[in-house]
Amino acid sequence: MEAAKRDVTALTICSTSFATLGRAQAKALGCPDLPIAVIPHPFGLRNREEVRRIAEQCVDDIARLVSGRGTEGGEASAAAADRAKRIEAPYELEAFNEFCEERRLSDGLPLVPPTPERVERMLRQTRRAPGEIVATVAPGFGVATVERIAINAVTAGCRPEYLPVLVAAVEAMAEPRFNLQGIQATTNPATPWIIINGPVAREIGVNARLNCLGQGTRANATIGRAVRLILQNIGGALPGDMDRATHGQPAKYTFCCAENEAESPWEPLHVERGFSAGESTVTVVGASGTLNMNSHAKDGDDLLRVIADSMTFPTGNDYHFGGQPWVVLSPEHAEILKLGGLDKTDVKRLLWEQSGLLASRFAARDYARAHHTRGGEFSRFSADTLLPISLQPDDIGIIVAGGPGTHSVYVPTFGQTRAVTRAVIR
Amino acid sequence: MNQTLVILDPKAPSGTASRQYSWQPLDGLKGKVVGFIDNSKPNFNYLVDDLARLLEEKYGVASVVRHRKLAASIPAPETILADVKERCDLVVTGSGD
Repeated sequence: MEAAKRDVTALTICSTSFATLGRAQAKALGCPDLPIAVIPHPFGLRNREEVRRIAEQCVDDIARLVSGRGTEGGEASAAAADRAKRIEAPYELEAFNEFCEERRLSDGLPLVPPTPERVERMLRQTRRAPGEIVATVAPGFGVATVERIAINAVTAGCRPEYLPVLVAAVEAMAEPRFNLQGIQATTNPATPWIIINGPVAREIGVNARLNCLGQGTRANATIGRAVRLILQNIGGALPGDMDRATHGQPAKYTFCCAENEAESPWEPLHVERGFSAGESTVTVVGASGTLNMNSHAKDGDDLLRVIADSMTFPTGNDYHFGGQPWVVLSPEHAEILKLGGLDKTDVKRLLWEQSGLLASRFAARDYARAHHTRGGEFSRFSADTLLPISLQPDDIGIIVAGGPGTHSVYVPTFGQTRAVTRAVIR
Repeated sequence: MNQTLVILDPKAPSGTASRQYSWQPLDGLKGKVVGFIDNSKPNFNYLVDDLARLLEEKYGVASVVRHRKLAASIPAPETILADVKERCDLVVTGSGD
């Protein structure tokens, strides 16, 4: 696409499984004629001889496509920042939800009808104009206006006062370093994790304590859900189409919590990231899952040793790319570390030093891949190389959340993503 | 029974970008310079090896320029894009697995 934009004749090669994504993206990005040569999926598993046979077919396709008229035409509409379209839908709840399911507007759970009155009530919570463009959302690059964010928030069951948090979340996800394009379209189970800091968390009731990553709190449940609906309905990442996740994960329904700032022995995340304590922020993380880490350790160093050990596994994307993994410390675990005289910087450094992965633990193909992506970090890359989980200790993210208990949570990431924090503006 | 209500469309219009980039066909491949941007997915380097050879042998391509991205999920850096624009008549990229 980027080459096509520079007036070079371009052509892309996709496997059958990714052709839908390729066509949809070419169209969304304003180059609907970009030809696509399709090769069989899964391509990466073919042996050398099979690749040769595929190349023989593919080269003929390339020759035909470059001198032809491209693939499909496709009408491009330009209704980018227009006010949302009004649609007539069934009044009765079951029929309404059938209607939404047929149009693929849902995450699979029943929806709240986004009537103009409900959307209007939500829009009163912001000073921004309804038609203001907040961002374009990959991979379909639909335009997220304040109004469209509000529509999806109503649909997800949000209270009106959640809207400013969602606007900040959309802004954060659209930052290039978050790599929403990769997160939305990958086969990995990546999904944005929404961390809320500052006064807004208390004011709108985002749970930071017991079961904060589980069920039971409307703000956690519906803010995360609204983000998913925005990613589907505005970003166009529908499962099986542009969203190519092999399995996905339950957190793709919702993944939202606040930091337990009151019980943290350290400065909260947003202060660490340059905001004042009185500001409210949303931080988005490209998360690949959660792992419970149960330890009754009472010694800080001992506790960090087992947490680092739990983070160290050879199939994690953080090791492939030098990522930005996260640890959610329970207040009890954080207190043990504090009593051990450790601040957040010490914790990050000790985790980083003890979570090196021996390159020989990779599968042979993964070793070659890591060599390609991370070889430049080392003067010599070999089976004995100890790969740090991130480029530097500070890239390990730490928050304190949860209630009483000897559990902390490891959140590995997509690897090729960086967390982004944005202020909540009301 | 058949009562209706009005809702606001949660979707952004599909294909919201207008047609910004027109795609120009080539008059064949003979004598042309073809650039590849390898997306670093497994086997794509071998496919590029084979396609480069076949394009030269079978279609008379003058030369092949090869680049490799660090990883599939990140965009090609500006240096690669500038180079293909400078040197190539056609650029072939890999997308997805």
